[in-house]
Amino acid sequence: MGVFRFTRKQLCIPYAVFLLCFVAAPLLVIIYYAFTNGEGQFTLKNLTGFFTSPYTIGTLAYSFAIAVVTTCVCLLLAYPIAYILARSQWRQKSVIVLMFVMPMWINFTLRITALKEILTVLEGNLAFHPFLNTIIGMTYDFLPFMILPMYTTLLKLDKSLLEAAADLGAGPVQVFCKVTLPLSVPGIISGVVMVFLPSMTNYVVLDMLYNSTYIMGSLIGSFFSAYDWHNGSMIALILLLIILVFTLITDRYAEEDAGNRGGALL
Amino acid sequence: MYNIQIRINAITRAQSVLCRKEERLKNKKRWKVPAFCLAAVLLAASLGGFPPAHRGLYNVLAREDVITLRVCNWEEYIDLGDWDEEERMELDNGVDILGENALYKEFEDWYYETYGKRVQVEYSCFGTNEDLYNQLTLGDTYDLVCPSDYMIMKLMAEGALEPYSEAFFDQEKEENYYQRGVSPYIAQVFAENQIDGESWERYAAGYMWGVTGVLYNPELMTQEEASTWAVFANPDFYRQITLKDNVRDTYFSTLGYLLQERLTEETFINAPDYHERLGELMNDVSPETIRAVEEQLAGIMGNIYALETDSGKADMVTGKIIANYQWSGDAVFAMDQAEEDGVYLEFAVPKECTNLWFDGWVMLKNGIGGDLEKKQAAEAFVNFLSIPENAVRNMYYIGYTSAISGGEDDTVFSYLNWCYGAEEDEEDTVAYPVGYFFSGDNEDEDYVVYTTRDQVGRQLYTQYPSREVISRAAVMWYFNEEETRNINQMWINIRCLDVREIPLWCVLLTLCVLAAVAAAVILHKKNHYYE
Repeated sequence: MGVFRFTRKQLCIPYAVFLLCFVAAPLLVIIYYAFTNGEGQFTLKNLTGFFTSPYTIGTLAYSFAIAVVTTCVCLLLAYPIAYILARSQWRQKSVIVLMFVMPMWINFTLRITALKEILTVLEGNLAFHPFLNTIIGMTYDFLPFMILPMYTTLLKLDKSLLEAAADLGAGPVQVFCKVTLPLSVPGIISGVVMVFLPSMTNYVVLDMLYNSTYIMGSLIGSFFSAYDWHNGSMIALILLLIILVFTLITDRYAEEDAGNRGGALL
Repeated sequence: MYNIQIRINAITRAQSVLCRKEERLKNKKRWKVPAFCLAAVLLAASLGGFPPAHRGLYNVLAREDVITLRVCNWEEYIDLGDWDEEERMELDNGVDILGENALYKEFEDWYYETYGKRVQVEYSCFGTNEDLYNQLTLGDTYDLVCPSDYMIMKLMAEGALEPYSEAFFDQEKEENYYQRGVSPYIAQVFAENQIDGESWERYAAGYMWGVTGVLYNPELMTQEEASTWAVFANPDFYRQITLKDNVRDTYFSTLGYLLQERLTEETFINAPDYHERLGELMNDVSPETIRAVEEQLAGIMGNIYALETDSGKADMVTGKIIANYQWSGDAVFAMDQAEEDGVYLEFAVPKECTNLWFDGWVMLKNGIGGDLEKKQAAEAFVNFLSIPENAVRNMYYIGYTSAISGGEDDTVFSYLNWCYGAEEDEEDTVAYPVGYFFSGDNEDEDYVVYTTRDQVGRQLYTQYPSREVISRAAVMWYFNEEETRNINQMWINIRCLDVREIPLWCVLLTLCVLAAVAAAVILHKKNHYYE
């Protein structure tokens, strides 16, 4: 009889089981629902229905708009901070970084509730600026996810490269544009991915800040409340595919860029 | 990375499949190898989260003669006990009330004392009627659940409900507290309304009930302004009122506004079949009506503050809004809360009509599964909650209105006096008759609350609407499959951005930005190759 031999591979089993039960199986359920109708027959109506309704396409556009604007705002806010922090000689900079991370320790619904009150003081009536409020809420919520990866990338940046560029006659602006910025692209991309994807679907922020327009997440919910699993699943699947495509593009770009740059610099 | 809601739903589904499998396993082999069961339980625990495992473990260890009752109720919808000593309630009729433990726990002891058998309540909660329905269709089994009116009708129409037994209706039996104590008004509503020729009372026992209306701040809005569904379209309150983020409530109030003239006509109100016609009008979900409501609602959406699910109560207190659509039970709660902050709110029921709603206990066929002992325990649970003291405890804890009036027992009425009755030395009192609820006769002098003048329009009026309000109340029915689809489509049209409404400059701008980004990337690559 063979003795039970423990190998390192077996440590993967719990995660594999988890993956199978909670990622693969639900996904199959979603795919099944997305391509069937109420009678359990195969249909493509859910798919064509999504792309022919001006309302679902409008919702997709609105979700995109929110995600793109949030990502841009986060990027513009976070890059200078991350840059200054990473370049500063100050010893206690980890304290400052901690200050950016700290809001994440508090539950986000609580933070949004507080934000609601602040915005009310500033604006008077929240109902007049639903889109602006949503962007502020999302930015508030996701900013740390943008700062952290950029900060780590910039921190790891080899300073001798900057010195070499300066020695060879590049001005500060040129150094930044030609060396620092290209080298921080991987950080920017992981920040963008971490902000863009959740801000497309996080409808709790919209609900709490009184934006009554649906985004993709809430649209799925509305189909489920009408007991329509099929259309809801189809929208979830389409969303999944959009996100997949987006991730593939950014990944590819990041890899390509990092590879080329590294080669060029050496 | 896909949406969290659909992920959780899918997990629930996977879980319930696992859980069902485990149950089948358990039923077959329990007598054989307990260790095998334990292994299955552990497996289920590692795969499927804790609840099913707990259930399995319990059944392995428990004695055979314990009845397990699976109850699913709204969140925060039963007295959980743990009152402070100073909360002790001493009512005029000599009854002393203090909630010590959760009612469903106390039921276990009461059942043992009354029937000499052990019962174990597995108590869980649901968030919305639709969630409950989805849970049931996904394979969760419960014995006793407490959905709202329209969900009860839907379940009834689908044949999912187990009727109450003959013994439950016997008013002679002492422990049949529900039949002996249910309000004649509620009993009448349950007896008159039918689904497929069977009246509701055979399948459902009332728990809490109320009407819908407008909660408003009387300093900023008059009672007259608030007493109509048109208030949401009133430009004087531009962006200062909220509606519910709920298609049924929004549909009802918008339809009420749409039909305003017709509903307030003297000839319509005084017609002998007024009530039937009101019910028909307010349940009109024909495609033409849905279209008309959609058009009207699109206008209302431009005038209101927002749609809210739960924040309205707090927003009234903080002054963000000055009125909101409210269910009477929540309105009472909001008024109590606001009072603590020194804000006095009032509740108005629109003159056109109001939605009579209720939540009731129903037994599920696939949960009970022909088990007579279990059915009896489920009925006993309803009876236990209908004991007047327990009804009062629930009312005190939840703030809603119990369907129980107490019959010959006057504990519930004493509670009303305890809450709202004027002090004896108070001079300016108003007589508020509630006989229609307690004895079926509103002229009944035994059931008049003498209250302070400022209570009119406040908690008492909200918790026990006057006879006059009740006369214009209509129950809102469930929608069939096609109607559900149409109404949901209307809701999506209202809530979603119409792609055709995006201005041209927005599209052009986006295209320009995209082109610029693409050009930048291409240029960047080109330069790169030269290097």
